[in-house]
Amino acid sequence: MKKELSIDSGVLQFVPKGAYYEDAEEQKAAVNLCWKDFLSYDRTLFSLSTLLPGSGYSKGAMSHMLLSNPITNKERSLTVDVLPLDFETQIIKYNLKKESFSRALKNLLMLAGGEGFSRVNNSKTRKLILSFIFERTNQELDNLAVNYKSKLRTLVAHALGKQTLFMILSGHGPTFDKWVGCYNSDCYTVIFHLFNRPTVLLKLENKFPKILQYEKLKNSAKDQDLVKFKSNMDKLPMRTVMGFRNTYKLNIDLSDVYDKSKMSSKETLQMESAVKKSGAKKKEIDYTKYDIYELWKVFYFKVLNNEVDDLDRIMSAIDFVSVRNQTIDIGPATVIFDASRSMEGSVERKFQPFLTSLSILSTLKNVQGVVYVGGKYIKVPVESNDDFKVIIPQNNTYLWKGLLEALKNKPKNIIVISDGYENSVKGMFEHVYDHLKSSDFDFNLIHLNPVFSASASMGSARRITKDTKPLPVSDYKYLETELMMNQMLEQPSVVKKQLIQRFQKLIK
Amino acid sequence: MSIFKLLKFDDVDISNLQNVDEMTVVPLLGATRGEVAKPQNLVFSKTSNYGEMVFENQDEDCDAIIPSNLMVRGKDAQDHVMSHIGLLEPQTSRRFPDSCCIEESQGGYLENSEKNEFDILPIELRKCFLTKDFRENRQYDKLWGGILDWLKDLPLKYKGVAHLRYFYDDPVVKTQLETFAAEFEPVEDQIGAVILFSGIPMGIEIMPSPEYWDYYWKLLIRGSYGAELIRLKQLGQIQTFKQSLPRINDHMDLDHMKEQMEDYIVQIQNYVPDVLKKVRIESQLSVSPQIIGESKTLQVEYLKTQDGGGEMITQNQKPIYLSLVL
Repeated sequence: MKKELSIDSGVLQFVPKGAYYEDAEEQKAAVNLCWKDFLSYDRTLFSLSTLLPGSGYSKGAMSHMLLSNPITNKERSLTVDVLPLDFETQIIKYNLKKESFSRALKNLLMLAGGEGFSRVNNSKTRKLILSFIFERTNQELDNLAVNYKSKLRTLVAHALGKQTLFMILSGHGPTFDKWVGCYNSDCYTVIFHLFNRPTVLLKLENKFPKILQYEKLKNSAKDQDLVKFKSNMDKLPMRTVMGFRNTYKLNIDLSDVYDKSKMSSKETLQMESAVKKSGAKKKEIDYTKYDIYELWKVFYFKVLNNEVDDLDRIMSAIDFVSVRNQTIDIGPATVIFDASRSMEGSVERKFQPFLTSLSILSTLKNVQGVVYVGGKYIKVPVESNDDFKVIIPQNNTYLWKGLLEALKNKPKNIIVISDGYENSVKGMFEHVYDHLKSSDFDFNLIHLNPVFSASASMGSARRITKDTKPLPVSDYKYLETELMMNQMLEQPSVVKKQLIQRFQKLIK
Repeated sequence: MSIFKLLKFDDVDISNLQNVDEMTVVPLLGATRGEVAKPQNLVFSKTSNYGEMVFENQDEDCDAIIPSNLMVRGKDAQDHVMSHIGLLEPQTSRRFPDSCCIEESQGGYLENSEKNEFDILPIELRKCFLTKDFRENRQYDKLWGGILDWLKDLPLKYKGVAHLRYFYDDPVVKTQLETFAAEFEPVEDQIGAVILFSGIPMGIEIMPSPEYWDYYWKLLIRGSYGAELIRLKQLGQIQTFKQSLPRINDHMDLDHMKEQMEDYIVQIQNYVPDVLKKVRIESQLSVSPQIIGESKTLQVEYLKTQDGGGEMITQNQKPIYLSLVL
């Protein structure tokens, strides 16, 4: 165990995409070091911390680290009084279930060498993969086997190994029962489907109708039978239908594919423009079901591309979801919102810091006022308001002006959401802040930095004053995590107790 | 007389300056000045030989401008830089046979690739191109001596040969360059900037439109001026500079405090036009299209100042582009 905890909140926020200041590889190397240090400091705290909100990628990587470094008896004995013996496995399973299925599969694929990770193949990982995939109802398996065929094939092959897989595919019942049938005795068909064995020989009728439909679609595509293909694509995943259409070069209108196939809610939002362009029927979108970040993203995408349809509905959804999201209470506060040009972010993740800032704003309770710094207002043609304007990132960073403006409300807390890059003039914010603090102004300053930095604790996240530590929050969902991690640095045992309580509450 | 007035850029406005440590960027604001191809319609095609860069103008209507000393760095190929500005008529392609190699011992030709990196040459190296003989010389290795001098004594990971990318690829430099890009921000209607190091003007850059500035600002501020400043700091050849901030009077209310700060910014900004008055144009030479490329609408002139110089483009007698290193 290491003596000092020097972790960074980046351990739970990392996604392998470049930010403004560091590319993805530099960040990955820095975060990897943080993970290793954290694990060697306290393995229990390391695994419990993954219960906090964080990115799927980080949790996958941390689980990979736990599974590739089996727990020692000494380490296990430290927690035996308060946590069950298999608490790590329970946490990993819980986290997998909380992710989208696609992300959960990616995290399991890390164990099979995915995303640049080393392969891990021990009894624990084999059980984890097989139980996660097959411990389900036939209906669930039917859908997943069609939607995620190739990923599932990789995982099953990894978990079973060549010899066992060969025996199962050769029809050896006892081997099937031992490894897979123990989770779902009907799923021989699913294994055959995943490995492209002729499933028609098996009984598909009632148990796995989607797989049967998939097989029919594939055969009609191979036979270039457009009539049958069209009738079979009904309600199958859009990606699957599109894949066959393109692979077999079928002369089928995109609008037909969009109209008949099934899209996930995320795809519906992402494909909205393509669907419109193809002439397909517009899919009705219930915006209130979306995440606030997704809503801001689609709102600004439409604004910047002069697409006016649905803007009113998206704005209503933003209001609705914002009210639901307001869970973090730092106390009565005025927010200084940096809308200067650098908040536009990198080309790779355009607008990410700005949209994250807007989303953070929507999670804060008790906000008494917002002061925008920089930015440019552009007119947006919405039905409900002839003169509606929105702000986009542009111009200089006058953080000091924002501070003076914010203080007019005499707030107890001032929250600055900014990347911390001040240029008009550099140091002016701190100069004004120092003067105010030494005068009669009494307020607490909090700096949230929406730009992820893998090495924030090493000082790469910009400070706006010497005595205000920036809290990097690259996703609005991680604000709570950031606050907890900050506390962890000062009182690790207190946070550990809180996390054990969280474990007991979440995982029964 | 102000240099802007002298060169007929007197309709350009000076905006609120941005200052971080030694570097000050004073944004120049204005409307679109001329009709030229959209910057994204200019495509770097390849190097067809060592010292020969090829560009294509994909615009259907307007002539394209290749900014002064544009540099292209690519993987497994000899990096190159333009010796001057370039012009291309709509829907045409052109070779520039007086371009320079900037990577002494690397073979291979550049292709049009998304992985290519673009920058404008650091300002001290740009000064090598201020004489006609050097600019128009067709020896592909003509800048190697200059690069070696420029890299000399820098604490880089790799050194010893005239590879300019040793500087740009150095991990420490790379981080510092990205910081420059984050610290300085283009503002609304910006078409150019005056750049100062420790209060001394180092260059004036004006593009034909805000869209152009938005497209090229990073290559200038990061790759050219930023790179030069980092080099000077690493060599200890620049005076440490921190803009002094005004003492705030006690018991001042918030509105008066804001007024005092705004007055202070105007005051330091007023210094810029004054200091630019000292810049004198010593000569203006028109350039043959054989060198810079054909254009029916654009004319190029080389300018010489006391300590520097650069290029200016006019269209219908109106100046639309200026790049001066001082």
